Amino acid sequence: MSLMKRSLAELVGTFVLVYFGAGAAAITLMIARGASPPSPPNPFNIGIGALGGLGDWFAIGMAFAIAIAASIYALGRISGAHLNPAVTIALWATKRFPVKDVGPYIVAQITGASLASFLFAATVGIDAVSIGGLGATAPFPGITYAQAILAEAIGTFLLMLTIMGVAVDERAPPGWAGLIIGLTVGGIITTTGNIAGASLNPARTFGPYLGDYILGQSSLWHFFPIYIVGPIAGALVAAFLYDYLSGD
Amino acid sequence: MKCYMCSLEKKDTDAVAICIVCGMGVCMDHLVREEVEVWEGGYPFPAKKLKRKLPRILCKPCYSVYHEV
Repeated sequence: MSLMKRSLAELVGTFVLVYFGAGAAAITLMIARGASPPSPPNPFNIGIGALGGLGDWFAIGMAFAIAIAASIYALGRISGAHLNPAVTIALWATKRFPVKDVGPYIVAQITGASLASFLFAATVGIDAVSIGGLGATAPFPGITYAQAILAEAIGTFLLMLTIMGVAVDERAPPGWAGLIIGLTVGGIITTTGNIAGASLNPARTFGPYLGDYILGQSSLWHFFPIYIVGPIAGALVAAFLYDYLSGD
Repeated sequence: MKCYMCSLEKKDTDAVAICIVCGMGVCMDHLVREEVEVWEGGYPFPAKKLKRKLPRILCKPCYSVYHEV
């Protein structure tokens, strides 16, 4: 399979992830618009959770889970369906993925995520940007930069550890990877979404940031290093730790 | 083992292969040999088509059922 075809598959997979996953977050914010703030005011209430508490995060997590599972089952044999620069980098760092493919994969993932955000805005309208923020991730009030990086790192650690255990390891039972990895992301989003958005993926954050910047003139770029450093660090630690634990 | 298809035709022919689907012993005249592509890998790595192919031997009834769409 040519690199171009594989990169195109990565682009499509990441598009699906961001359109349906981040799109679900944007729609949740739009649904919650106008909901009365709790009394006394809760600094964590920025819309998500106003209707259904953690159930909102569960719904967003399930949207990501289904989109990821679908992409893995549809495209996993073509490109590997990394859908995430942190996963690509971790597989390269552990000598499982060729260095010459890393750049094209990451460019494809970022492009797919950006296209998804712009097409989501085109589908829903400007409210998706002004109210939904295109599902962009940012630390919640009271969460420091370091805490956000730590949350993203721990979340991506679990994601990468699961990928290593159910997909990379040849002893893993075949056929389960897409479902289990999708559900793992859904669970991570449900439990840590209200800390820093549970992006776990630099491309997933890049797309909505670019869309918000161009269509809404709102810049969240000062938060972007959180979603580069945290996920990549978490994925690297998980990949090397798994190799250590599973080695003879 | 004798060829089952030949035995139906009242002929006594030694089988040279066994159908991978139904286990019927078949002679050279009643077997169909196909080369099946072999793929290796998959998520999270791209699957690769291997150069070597896997020979698959079927009896004619099973072959016709497989290709009957």
